[in-house]
Amino acid sequence: MLNIRFLKAGATALLLATTAFTAPAFADGKLVVSSPQDPGSWDPIDTFLVNWASAATNIFDGLTYRGPDMEIVPALAESWDVLDEGKRIRFKLREGVTFHNGEPFNADAVKFTFDRLLGETGAKGPQRSNYTSISKVEIIDENTVDFHLGAPDPVLLTKLAGYGAMIVPPKYVTENTEEFFNLNPVGTGPFKFVSYDPKVSLKLEAFEGFWGDKAKLSELEYRFITEPATAVAELQAGRVDVVIPPTIPVSMVPTIEADPNLVLAAVTSPTVWALRYNTRDGITADERVRKAMIMAVDRETIVKEILGGQADVIASFQSPLSFGYDPDQKPLPYDVEGAKALLAEAGVKPGAAVTIDVRGNDATFGEVAQAIAAYLSMVGITATIQPYELNTMLNDIIPQGKTGAMFQQGWGGWTFDYDNTAYAMYHTGEKWNPYDSDKKLDALLESQRPLTDRAERERILKEIAHYTADRALEMPLYNSKALYGVNKRVKNFDPAPDNRLRLNAVEVE
Amino acid sequence: MIGFIFKRLLQAAFVVVVVSLVVAVAIRMTGDPALMISQGSTGITEADLVRIREGLGLNEPFIVQYFNSLMGLLTWNFGNSFVGGTPVNLLISKALPATLTLAFTSLILSIVISIPLGIAAAVSRGKWSDQMIRIGSLVGLSFPNFWLATMLVLLFGVTLRWLPPSGMAGFESYIMPTLTMGIILTATNVRLVRTTMLETLNSQYIMVARAKGLSESKVLYKHALRNCAIPLITYFGLQFGGLLGGIVVIERVFNWPGMGTLAFDAVSARDYPVLQAVIMILSLMIVLVNLIVDIAYGLVDPRIRKE
Repeated sequence: MLNIRFLKAGATALLLATTAFTAPAFADGKLVVSSPQDPGSWDPIDTFLVNWASAATNIFDGLTYRGPDMEIVPALAESWDVLDEGKRIRFKLREGVTFHNGEPFNADAVKFTFDRLLGETGAKGPQRSNYTSISKVEIIDENTVDFHLGAPDPVLLTKLAGYGAMIVPPKYVTENTEEFFNLNPVGTGPFKFVSYDPKVSLKLEAFEGFWGDKAKLSELEYRFITEPATAVAELQAGRVDVVIPPTIPVSMVPTIEADPNLVLAAVTSPTVWALRYNTRDGITADERVRKAMIMAVDRETIVKEILGGQADVIASFQSPLSFGYDPDQKPLPYDVEGAKALLAEAGVKPGAAVTIDVRGNDATFGEVAQAIAAYLSMVGITATIQPYELNTMLNDIIPQGKTGAMFQQGWGGWTFDYDNTAYAMYHTGEKWNPYDSDKKLDALLESQRPLTDRAERERILKEIAHYTADRALEMPLYNSKALYGVNKRVKNFDPAPDNRLRLNAVEVE
Repeated sequence: MIGFIFKRLLQAAFVVVVVSLVVAVAIRMTGDPALMISQGSTGITEADLVRIREGLGLNEPFIVQYFNSLMGLLTWNFGNSFVGGTPVNLLISKALPATLTLAFTSLILSIVISIPLGIAAAVSRGKWSDQMIRIGSLVGLSFPNFWLATMLVLLFGVTLRWLPPSGMAGFESYIMPTLTMGIILTATNVRLVRTTMLETLNSQYIMVARAKGLSESKVLYKHALRNCAIPLITYFGLQFGGLLGGIVVIERVFNWPGMGTLAFDAVSARDYPVLQAVIMILSLMIVLVNLIVDIAYGLVDPRIRKE
């Protein structure tokens, strides 16, 4: 009995001692972030969820880093050279970096990470397909690696900044089970893992040995709150400091703006919305009809009235942040008379019917669709709105080509490269392109992929954007803003457009 | 008694098998989890999808998959969630106590309020206090639970800041969800206690008890309440079962990490193992509660015990 008590006292003392030891002198304060989704695993190769990245960007590093300013900068790689016409990239690795568990970061860790991602373990997850341009990683010396590519991949440096390309510690991953690593992640980032309670919270603390700008906070906690009203109530009650997207709907913006303790941070996001057309069947097979429908809808008014101005009208299916965006490209004007004339020319009789497929859980877009239907009725087209359950729509209705004449599509590739969107939307046979097949467009899309000349690739991407707008492959609607609710006690918070938050600079009062 | 329990356990097994089979078939109709997992990845090929499905164990025949999940109840190993691969038993071991405690505290709160109120209403039948209690319970019944929850959160969580608006951390966090569920249950339960009590008070043995000259409180609590107990226990038992399933909305509003939250997320993510485990366990719980109710009869009523 006495022994046990003695042991207990000893253990407590030890615990206290370690806590005193790890509490870093430079860091102070705790930040609580509300995130709408628990990814269930913190292993970089297991999921493809934005809200994984909103938290895990603090735990892991990639070879490159891309912050809120969208610039690709060195991270675990200090520099790189693109060789052999883009088929080989040589990375010079940062020296003296250690993982949170003390393991050293080196060429072995890089090779291990990509062998794992591209091998058997990675094949079970959704990340592998994004990195298949890498054929192998070769170790040159302790701090140099060569990436050999099957074909040049102009977006690879961006893709190395996140998700599946985050560098993991070889010894730790090998010695523990897969399950253990999922629940107890170790990386090289500014915050290290403390605890994870599934569906409840993830707790992190500042990592003293971080190679870059050390965290100013001592503790960082993510709470998983799905219901927007609940997340905002927690924010108002001061128990949560930041509510990250996609949580706050446009309808709750006034609540946050009215609260003297809170600010709303709205930034341009990669997410764009459109009503895409069935270009194969029915009246929307005619380009003139597709154009007429775009002209019939006053998109500016929709953004102003329904979205409270928290969006921007787009001319092509991409955000202004995307590579390949042409600021000179203007959307088709709102022109009811012009629309009527085009419809008459195409021989569409008043009363022609179309169906608009929308996601049933998206109340905001539901209102947008109602407005569009009303605008269309003014040019004599009767639109019926057909809601589908989100996943049914994404996985079954669209890819199987079972949609109505128009269907809601949202897209927000984190790479901010128009290739990512355009190829998936317009290339023949792609999952998201069930109807259209255009040889010229296919050729354009394929021609830019192997190019390492950025200017030339950008020119082609712009050409694609104009070409698809000329053919009116979709009714481009708007680029929605990412909405963050932030308590005023939070300082230096830089809302990331892509929701990949790195919070080492953040402080709290 | 042993034979009776054995028979009921067999029934329970049958119910669980049927329910889980229906769920297993139904969730497979919602679509392909591999597509779900790879949403957002670019350049995904059919070969990639096949590999992902293999990783999830979906290449096995349905009957094998179903049998494995059913065996999970015996071995307490339900496999891994499709979302992130978290072991399902880890999720359940956190969610089940969360839901059970919330359902339990709500029911207790409701019983503690509704029995005295119900009796008071029955005794003063037709008088103003009876009217007040009945109108009060009608008002309680008319609240949609999510509305009541939101109002409580706005008042106590946001404006006054007395209680945490959501989450499960300590005693304070139980107050609002319990109150929400409790108020709504009480509304029904008061009426039930009142009706049952009225019937009992009209029976002959109560007249005899009164004629014997027993005090009114003895008549009420010793004779009447005991005889009311059987229908009430049955009803509360069933209600507890219903609560386990019906708590989803409340769990969502209060971000309560329980079985409802788990099931809700699992349905939208096509997470077969989690959903199947949640449903199997909940149906098992409901069957068990009914069994306990049957056994409890014997405890309150010696006549049943002798049979």
